Amino acid sequence: MLVLYLAQAVNSGLALGAVYGLMALGFCLIYNSSRLINFAQGELLLLGGLVLFSLSQTLQLGPVSALLATGVFGFLLGHLLYSTTLGVMLLAQPLRQLMLTVAASLIWQGAAVLIWGKNPLKLEQFVAMPALRMGPVFLGPNTVTALVLAVASVAVLSAFLGLTRTGRAIRAVSMNALAARLQGVNPVRAQALSFALSGILSALAAMAIGPQTMLRYDMGFGLGLKGFVAATLGGYTSLGKVFCGGLLLGVIEACLTLAFSADLKETLTYSLLVALLVLAPTPQSRQQKV
Amino acid sequence: MRREVRSLAAFLAAVALVGAFLPNVHLLALNQHLFLALNVLALNFCLGLGGQASMASGAFCGLGAYGSVILHSLLPQGTLVIVPAVASCAFFAAAWISKPLEKLGEGFLAMATLCLCLIFVNLVLAFAPLTGGSNGMMVSVSPSLPLLGELKGDRANFAALLFLLALGGYIFAAVRDSRLGRALLACKDDSLAASSCGIDRLGVRAVSFGIGGAFSALAGMVLANSTGFISPGQFDLGLSLKTLLFLVIGGPGRLVRPLLAVVLLEALISSFHSLGEATMLVHGLILATALLAGYWRETGGLAWLPRLVAPAAKRV
Repeated sequence: MLVLYLAQAVNSGLALGAVYGLMALGFCLIYNSSRLINFAQGELLLLGGLVLFSLSQTLQLGPVSALLATGVFGFLLGHLLYSTTLGVMLLAQPLRQLMLTVAASLIWQGAAVLIWGKNPLKLEQFVAMPALRMGPVFLGPNTVTALVLAVASVAVLSAFLGLTRTGRAIRAVSMNALAARLQGVNPVRAQALSFALSGILSALAAMAIGPQTMLRYDMGFGLGLKGFVAATLGGYTSLGKVFCGGLLLGVIEACLTLAFSADLKETLTYSLLVALLVLAPTPQSRQQKV
Repeated sequence: MRREVRSLAAFLAAVALVGAFLPNVHLLALNQHLFLALNVLALNFCLGLGGQASMASGAFCGLGAYGSVILHSLLPQGTLVIVPAVASCAFFAAAWISKPLEKLGEGFLAMATLCLCLIFVNLVLAFAPLTGGSNGMMVSVSPSLPLLGELKGDRANFAALLFLLALGGYIFAAVRDSRLGRALLACKDDSLAASSCGIDRLGVRAVSFGIGGAFSALAGMVLANSTGFISPGQFDLGLSLKTLLFLVIGGPGRLVRPLLAVVLLEALISSFHSLGEATMLVHGLILATALLAGYWRETGGLAWLPRLVAPAAKRV
């Protein structure tokens, strides 16, 4: 019986963990390129998912067209967020920049309420994958889809950051913006691109979580915060570690839900973050960046 | 100090004058603004003096409210003991929490303290037999003071809030001009240099965090008495975010400007509540505009804008 419960916990934990992992990657990209903690990360997911929902209502979207639309709208939303937050306050104090992302989060949430209402909306599964059984572990179709989407995103993002000139420019800015500038890299453009990439990752996360838990106007902040916990767990150092941080957080949460009530689960998750922040070295002190 | 205290006195006198002529319905709204202003003043001790961006206001406020209500239900005539005891608990809790978090940078400290706020709310939900859980708690006993009697009604709470704002403002000005205040400002400007000069960074910042926590707890006590009902939703991250937002808009380290920003912007936001589902959008737009206006004012983009909502660049 316990094995069955654990298998169920792993199944639901990996499904959510893949989403946390994608959110964490978005957090890392923005933090490393601009040293900004983006409070509106969750709203990128929300708006990305809701735009996809509206598109699916008017157009027949297949897997490829849905992925394409997710990428395009995620990119645009990420860029829009940059243009309205960091882009207009490049020289401001970090705290003021951070607070502007909080205000942006309110604005985007308000826009979501106004356009799509407060009722939860179910996103259809665009990339349907079959269920998977490995011994006692059973992964449902939603879990497999979320994992495939997330792992593929990590692979593509790694290739982009490692193999392309633009990707290497983003990495250079995240390591040392001044040195990168002296080498001819435009840090502002790299930051804008990081926001846009983060928008794509968040829209993909929406595609993964929409069919599982539905899209609700107030879901963004919680998911964004979990993404931050996952990024801290992963250590902000490499894409793989950060993504694994997300998976680990998902599984830990699912196991805590089995053992305790939902309120205590949240308490323990946030306590874990505080402990990690206090005990682990701060990201600024690390040399290697994403 | 004298000039700022005079400005504070003028601000409080103006608020008192407005409050004296307001009908009770509107006075309740003004009390809500002053409650937020007291929280902003409390946060100003941490951020304005110590340079630490805390989002734990909701947690300390909740600690004060729940502590006061639970203890008053056990000891109805014990206001003179309960209020200082709960404020002291909040002071020591905040000071104790601040020490391990001191090394974190602005954004990470904000996230860590935001988590403390969420932990508090979840603990209140988890310990439902004591706190009422998500159903909240009715405030059955109002605080009472010798000579003054029971502090009941909007006028009494209005007076209590004004008194706490005056007290907090005076302590803020006094601390800033003291040795402790100069040590805190040194930590804020360059914490490494401050340490090199022999300043006990952890100690002085713990004191500022503690004073902030205590004033937030006092604000929570007045809120509980004012609304007659408390629930975890009143102390969630929305309160913490709003408090930090208003302080950043008003200018950390300033005494009167953040309080003025709270009262004016909250009054403006409240006037849009009739918009229904568009309220949140308008709320966000107002706050974003205030932030941007302050930034453009600092950088010379909006030289014509009154200095009311724009904090001085050197102080932020």
